[in-house]
Amino acid sequence: MHTTLESSLPLLLGMAWLLPLLSFTLIVLFGQRMGKHGVGASYLATFSIVVGFLFSAISLGLWLYANPLSAAHAAEPEAQIDVAREHKTPAEEHHAASDLKAPDYYTGDLYTLGQFGSLKISISYYIDALTVGMFAMVTLIASCIHFYAIGYMHDELHDLTDHEVTLADGRHLHRPGRFHRFFQYLSLFCFSMLGLVYAGNIFMVFIFWELVGICSYFLIGFYIERKSACNAANKAFIVNRVGDFGMIVGLMALWGALGTFAFGDAKQADGTVARGIFSQVRDAGQEHALIVPDGMVRASAWKMVQEVAVDHRDHADPAAAESEIESRLSDYRDQHYGYWLLVVAGVGIFCGCVGKSAQFPLHVWLPDAMEGPTPVSALVHSATMVAAGVYLTGRFYPVFTPEARLVIAYTGGITLFLAATIAITATDIKRVLAYSTVSQLGYMMLALGVGGWVAGLFHLITHAFFKSLLFLCSGSVIHACHTNEMPKMGGLLKKMPWTGYTMLAGCLAIIGAGLPPIFGFWPFGFGLSGFYSKDSIIAQAYSFWMANPTHGMILFAAAAGGASITAFYMFRLWFMTFIGQPRDHHVYEHAHESPRIMYLPLVVLASFAVIIGWTFPGVWSVTDLLEQARWPGEAGAGVLMPSLIYPNELLSHQHHVHLIAGLTAFSTALGGFLLATVFYGVRWLNPAEVRQQFAPVYTFLINKWYFDELYDVLFVTPTHFVAMIIAWFDRQIIDGFINNLARWTYRVATFDDLIDRYLVDGLVNLTAAWTWSLGNSLRGLQTGLLRQYIMLIVIGTVALTIIVNFASAG
Amino acid sequence: MDQSVIWLSLIVFLPALAALVLAFIPKGQPDVIKLISLAATVAVFLASCVVTFGWFGADEVHFQKGVAEMQDVFSLPWIPSFNIFYFMGTDGISLPLVVLTTFVTMLSMGASWTINKHVKAYCILFLLLETGMLGVFLALDFFLFYVFWEVMLLPMYFLIGVWGGPRREYAAIKFFLYTLLGSVLMLIAILMLYFNSDLAELARISDLLPDNAAASVKWADLHIDPSATQAAEEVALAREAGRIPPAASPVHTFNLLALAAMGQHTSLFNDQLLFGKSMQWWSFLLLFIGFIIKVPAVPVHTWLPDAHVEAPTPISMILAGILLKMGGYGIIRICYPICPDAGYDLAWLVVGIGVISMVYGAFAALAQKDFKRLVAYSSVSHMGYVLVGIGVWSAWSGTNFNPEYWQMGMNGAMFQMVAHGISSPGMFFMVGIIYERVHHRNLDEFGGLFAKAPIYSGIAFGIFFAGLGLPGLCGFIGEVFVTLSVWNYSHALAVVSASVVILTASYILWTLQRVYLGPEYKGPHGDHITPITGRELAIGVPLLAFAILLGVYPRAVFDYTTPSINKEVTDLAAWTRATKEEQLLARRMERDRRQGVTDDPLIGE
Amino acid sequence: MNPLTTPVGVSHFMAVGAVMFVCGVVCMAAKRNALGVLMGIELVLNGANINFVAMSSPFLSAHGRGGLGLDGQFIALFVIVLAAAEAAVALAITLNFYNNHATIDVDRADELRG
Repeated sequence: MHTTLESSLPLLLGMAWLLPLLSFTLIVLFGQRMGKHGVGASYLATFSIVVGFLFSAISLGLWLYANPLSAAHAAEPEAQIDVAREHKTPAEEHHAASDLKAPDYYTGDLYTLGQFGSLKISISYYIDALTVGMFAMVTLIASCIHFYAIGYMHDELHDLTDHEVTLADGRHLHRPGRFHRFFQYLSLFCFSMLGLVYAGNIFMVFIFWELVGICSYFLIGFYIERKSACNAANKAFIVNRVGDFGMIVGLMALWGALGTFAFGDAKQADGTVARGIFSQVRDAGQEHALIVPDGMVRASAWKMVQEVAVDHRDHADPAAAESEIESRLSDYRDQHYGYWLLVVAGVGIFCGCVGKSAQFPLHVWLPDAMEGPTPVSALVHSATMVAAGVYLTGRFYPVFTPEARLVIAYTGGITLFLAATIAITATDIKRVLAYSTVSQLGYMMLALGVGGWVAGLFHLITHAFFKSLLFLCSGSVIHACHTNEMPKMGGLLKKMPWTGYTMLAGCLAIIGAGLPPIFGFWPFGFGLSGFYSKDSIIAQAYSFWMANPTHGMILFAAAAGGASITAFYMFRLWFMTFIGQPRDHHVYEHAHESPRIMYLPLVVLASFAVIIGWTFPGVWSVTDLLEQARWPGEAGAGVLMPSLIYPNELLSHQHHVHLIAGLTAFSTALGGFLLATVFYGVRWLNPAEVRQQFAPVYTFLINKWYFDELYDVLFVTPTHFVAMIIAWFDRQIIDGFINNLARWTYRVATFDDLIDRYLVDGLVNLTAAWTWSLGNSLRGLQTGLLRQYIMLIVIGTVALTIIVNFASAG
Repeated sequence: MDQSVIWLSLIVFLPALAALVLAFIPKGQPDVIKLISLAATVAVFLASCVVTFGWFGADEVHFQKGVAEMQDVFSLPWIPSFNIFYFMGTDGISLPLVVLTTFVTMLSMGASWTINKHVKAYCILFLLLETGMLGVFLALDFFLFYVFWEVMLLPMYFLIGVWGGPRREYAAIKFFLYTLLGSVLMLIAILMLYFNSDLAELARISDLLPDNAAASVKWADLHIDPSATQAAEEVALAREAGRIPPAASPVHTFNLLALAAMGQHTSLFNDQLLFGKSMQWWSFLLLFIGFIIKVPAVPVHTWLPDAHVEAPTPISMILAGILLKMGGYGIIRICYPICPDAGYDLAWLVVGIGVISMVYGAFAALAQKDFKRLVAYSSVSHMGYVLVGIGVWSAWSGTNFNPEYWQMGMNGAMFQMVAHGISSPGMFFMVGIIYERVHHRNLDEFGGLFAKAPIYSGIAFGIFFAGLGLPGLCGFIGEVFVTLSVWNYSHALAVVSASVVILTASYILWTLQRVYLGPEYKGPHGDHITPITGRELAIGVPLLAFAILLGVYPRAVFDYTTPSINKEVTDLAAWTRATKEEQLLARRMERDRRQGVTDDPLIGE
Repeated sequence: MNPLTTPVGVSHFMAVGAVMFVCGVVCMAAKRNALGVLMGIELVLNGANINFVAMSSPFLSAHGRGGLGLDGQFIALFVIVLAAAEAAVALAITLNFYNNHATIDVDRADELRG
C-alpha cells in the first residue's frame, strides 16, 4: 500500500496542483474569446479547481486508508506525558526512543533548478498528513469561492461604471468588464498556493511564497483604476518583501551551513540517503530532540575546524583531517557552537511568515488589502494565503529553537490583542473581518509559539472554513447593499435569511461557541469547530504558563482577553448588520438575497464551519490527522534563555488543563458576547455615548494605533529621502566630479594653447626677429661706395697680414 | 578545425560583410537597407544556433554540453613576430553570451525600424557594432580581444551621438571617454602581462617536455600555435640542460589560456612592481577598473544613465543587453584566471563594489522621474549581483567554506548576466514603445495605459516582473543564487544584499503603478496611444517567452555554463589550497615569530 | 747690406712690383673717375705680374734654379689676358653707366647700398 501511495500521492496532488496552472495559461491566451465576454473562463477555472478538489479528496481518502487514525490515540496523552526527558532511566530512554517515530512522508525531486557540486536546488515535493489535509482544505474552499465568484463578479461581464473613480472631467469611469481576468488570477493563485503546500524544500516554498504574493498583488489591485487599490496592492507586496528579506537571511543561514533546502530525507540514485533539514535537526538517534546540525556546528566553529585542517596539511591522508573534525564536532556542539545559526535560521524564516500572515509589526497591509473583490478577500486574505505563514511556521516547526518559539509566541500574542482592539472600532464590514483575521492568525502563531503545533494548525484549518464563510457572507451583504459601511445597514436578516443565518453560524464558530467539559457532555466538551481549536490553544497556553510563570502569564492573558474581544466585535458586526431597525432606508429597500450560486457555497462552508472540528473516533478527526505529521521530540530548554522550558505538547491534553482552558474560553467568549448584546443587540447602552466617554482611546483605535503614520515617518519618508540624496549625489557629486574633470581638462587645454601660441611660437619668432635685426644693423656697411670697399679690403688685408705675422711671431 | 574557422568567422564577420554590401546600396532605399541588415542579423543568429545546437548536420562544430574545455578552437597566424594569432574558440562561459548577443541584436534591429535619419549609416554602424561585440566574446587572443573591444567602441559613439536625444553629444562623449579610460588601463595591463609571460617557463612544468608527462598543465588544452610551441620547447630544453640561464630568451604570448595557466601554475606574474604590490595585483586592478566601467559599477557608472537616456531605443537595448555583459565576462574570463593571487586578495573589493552598486542603484532608481533613467539605474543595481556572485571567493580546506558556494555564486552571476540580457532590453523596449507614441518619459505624466493598450501592458508587466526578480521569471534565479552564495563569504554583506529585494520591489511596483495603472492617462499626446503593433509584438513576445523559459527551466542556461564555470572555480580552489594557503600560513608564522607569539592556534605542531 | 750695391735680384723686382701695387691700390681708392679706377687695377695686376715673372726667372734666383719655373711665366701670361678681358668688360659697364647716368663718377654708382 505504501509503495502505491508513494507513487500515487505525488501524481494526484501534482495534478491538482498543475491543473490551475493549465487553466491560467489558457485564460491568459484565449480568455477573451471564451464565450461571451469571457464567461467561459470562469467555467474553466472552476472546473480545474473542482477536479483538483476531487484529486485531493481521493488523496486524503487514500492516506486515511493507509494510515488509519488510531482509536487508541485518545488514551495516548496519559501514557506519554511522563516521557519528559528529565525523569527517565536509561532503559526507559531506550524504550522511549523506539517509541518515538518520525512522521511518515513521501518526498522526491521533480526536476533540478541548478546543481553545483553537492549543492542542489530542485523542484520537489514533500507529502505528509499535513500536506494532504491542506490540499483538501484549500481546494475545497477555493472551489466554493470559485462558484460564489461566478455570481459575485457578474457585473464584470459587461461594460460598467466604477463609481469610486472620478476622472479629471468629473465623470465616473466607464470601462469594459474584466471577468476573465479575475478568474485568470484566481487560477494562478490556486496554483501558487497549492505549490507552496506541495513544496518539498524551503526554496520551493520561497518560490511559491513570492508567487502567491504577486497573485495577491494582482487581486488586491484588481480595480486598477482606483488609486487606493493600487496603493494597497503595492503596500501588500512591499510589506511582504520586508518579511521576505528576513526569510532570505534565514535561507542563507540554512544554506550556508547545511547545503540543503530539502525538508525530508531523499534516497539518491546510488542508494545513499541525502539528509534533509528535519532529520538533521531532529536526529532519530537523539530521540528527535532538537540538536544543532553538524553543518551549523562546523560553520560556526570554523576557526577550530580550520586549525585542524591546517594541522593535517602536510599529512598524506586527506581523510584523516575530516575524521578528526568529525570526532570533535560533538565537543563543539556542547559548547553551543552553531546554535545562533539555528536561531537566525528560525527567526529569519519566521520573518517571512510574519509578513505573509500579517503579524505585528507587518500587519498593516492586510486591512488595506480589502480593496480587492470580496471573493479574493475570502480566499486569499483570510482562508489560504495569509494562512501560508502559519502553515510554513508549522511546516518548519522542528527547526525552531525555544528562543525562536518565544519570538513567535510574543508576535502572535501582540498581534492578536492589537488587531482585536482595532476591530472594535472599525465600521467597514470587511475591515472588521480583516482585523479579525489578523487577530486569529495571531492566535495560531501564539499556539505554535507556546508549543502547540497541533493546536495552531488545527485552528488554521477551522479558521479557514469559518473565516471564508464570514467573508463570503459579508460579500453577499455588500453585493446587496452596495456599501461596506455597517452604520448604513441593520435589520437585513429578514431580507437575506440565508446570508444572515450562515453568518451567524460563522460568528458562533469564530468565537468558539460550545459547552465546556464541565457540563458533562463529551470529555473535551462539545461545540462548533472554533470551539475545539480555540480551546486547545488556550489549553496549550495554560500548559506553557505552568512551565514558565512570567511569559506564560502574559501570553495566556493575551489569548483569553483576545477571545473576549473577538466575541464582542463579531457580534457587534452581526447585530449591526442583521438586527434592529434599518438605518438607511434607501439601502434597505434595495437589499435582496443573493442568487443561488452565491448562497449555496455559503451553506456548504457553514456546515463545514460547524462540523470540521468534530471527532469521529477512528474515522475522522483533524487533530488526529495532524498528529500523524507532528515531529516528536522536545525542543528542550533555551540556550540563550536557559529559564525558557517547553513542556511536552501532549501535556496540554490532561484533563485538568482542558477543564481550566475550556472554562476560560467559555467565560471570556460569553462575556464578550453579552457585552455586544448589551450594546448592539438589545441596545441598553448607547455605543455613541461610550465612544464619547473614551474619546482618546477611540481616536487611537480608529486610527489603527497610528501604525501607518508611524511607518510613514520611520521608513517610507527616510527611504525616499535617502533615494533623493543618492540621486543628488549621483548627479551632483559623481557627475559633478566628472564634469568638473572635463571642465578642468578644457581649461588645461586652453592654457596649453596659450603656451603653444606665446611661448613656443614666440621663441621661433624671436629667433627670426634677431636674425632680421642683425641683418638690418649690418646693412649700414653696404654703402655702395666702391672706393670705400677698396679701402676696407686694403685695411683688412693689412690687418690680416699684421695679425698673421704677429701671431706666427708670437 | 576547418569547420570551426568557417563558422566562428562567419558569426563574427558576417555583419561586417553585410555592412560592406550596404555601402554599395544607394541611399534612397531605406527599406531595402533595413531588410538587408535584418537578414544579416537573423543569419548571424542562425549561425550561432548552428554552433549551439548543431543544426543542419554541422556535427563538427556542434557545441557539446557538459564539456568544460574550450571547443571549436582554431588558431591562425596573424602577426607572428609578436605571437599574435587569429585565435578563437568558445566554451560554456562565452557561448551563452554569443547567443544572447545575436538574439538581442536581431531583436533590436527589428526595433530599429522606426529610425528614419541616415538609415544607411545607421545600419552600417549597427552591423559593425555587432561584429565587435561577437569578436570580444569569441576571441581567445588577448590582443585580438582588445582589438574587438575597441572596434565596438566607435560605432557606439556615433550611434549615440548622431541618433540620440537632445543631449546626445554630451552622452556620447561621456560614454566614449569613460570607456576609453577603461581601454587604456586594460592596454597597460595587457602589455604588462605580455612582457612578463613566458611560454618556455610554462612548457617546463607542463607535459610538453618528455619527462613530465604526468604534469597538471596539459599543453594540448592551451591550444598554443605549433610555431610558438616549438620555440617554447627549444628554449625550455635549453634551460633544462643549462645551456642558457633560467630566465633567458622568454617566449611571450597573448594566448589567454596560456596566460591563465601561467597565473595559476607559475610565479611569472609575482614580481614586485609598485608599493609592495605584485605585477599581477596591479594588472588585476587595472583590468578590473577597465571592466567595471563597462559593467558598470558604482562609482564609475554615471555614463550609463546618460547614454541610455539619450540613445535611441534599439541602441539602449544593445547597450543594456550586451555591452554591460562584457565587463562581467572579462572579469570571469580574464581577471580571475590570470591573476588568482590578486583575485584572492581583492575579493573584498569585488564583492564590496558589487553590494554597493546593488544598494546604490536601487536607491537611485527610486528617486528618478525619467522612465528610461529609472531602468538604467535598475541595470546598475542588477549588474551589482554579477560582481557579487563572481567575487565570493570562499574556499579554505576543511571548513564549510568550500568552493561549491563560490561555484554557485559564479554560476548565479553568469545566469544573472543572461537573465539581465533578456529582461533589460525588454524593459528598454517597453519604454521605447510608449516614448514613440507620446514623446515624453516623465513618470508622473503617465497612468492608465493598461486600459488603453492591454496587450502591451501585459507584456510590460511580465518583463518588469522579470526585473523585479519574481519566481518563474528569469531575474529570480540569478539574484537568489547569488544572494544565497554570499553568506559564506560575509554575513554582513549577505544581509545587505538580501535587503535589496525590498528596494527593487518598491521602485518597480511604484513605476508600474505610475505608468500603467490608474484611471486615465495624464500626459500630453494621449490620443496617440495606440495598441501594440505586430512588429512590436514580434520583439516583445520572444523576450517575455525567454524570460519565462529561463525562470522556469534555468538549466537551459546552466547546462551550458556550469561545466566551464565549475572548472574555473575548481582550478582556482585547487590553486588556493596548493599555493595561497601555504603563503598565508607562512606569512602568519613569520609575523608570529617577529611578535613572539607562540600559541597561535593555526601554527600547531 | 746696401740694396743699391748688391746685384739685381728677386728682391729688387719685388720692390718694384710692390711700389706698382701700392700705386695701383691708391689709385683705385682715390680716383672717383671710373677710368682712373680701371688704370689702378691695371697697375695692381701688373705689379703682381712682375712678382710672378721675377719669382719664376732662373737667372735671378740665388742658387740658379727658378722658384716657380715656367708656372710663373704662364700665370703672368694669363693675367695679361685676363686684364685685357677685364678692361673690355669694365669699359663696357662704364660706357653703359655713362649712358644711364651721364657721369662716370663711381661714387654716384651707389644703387646697391644696403
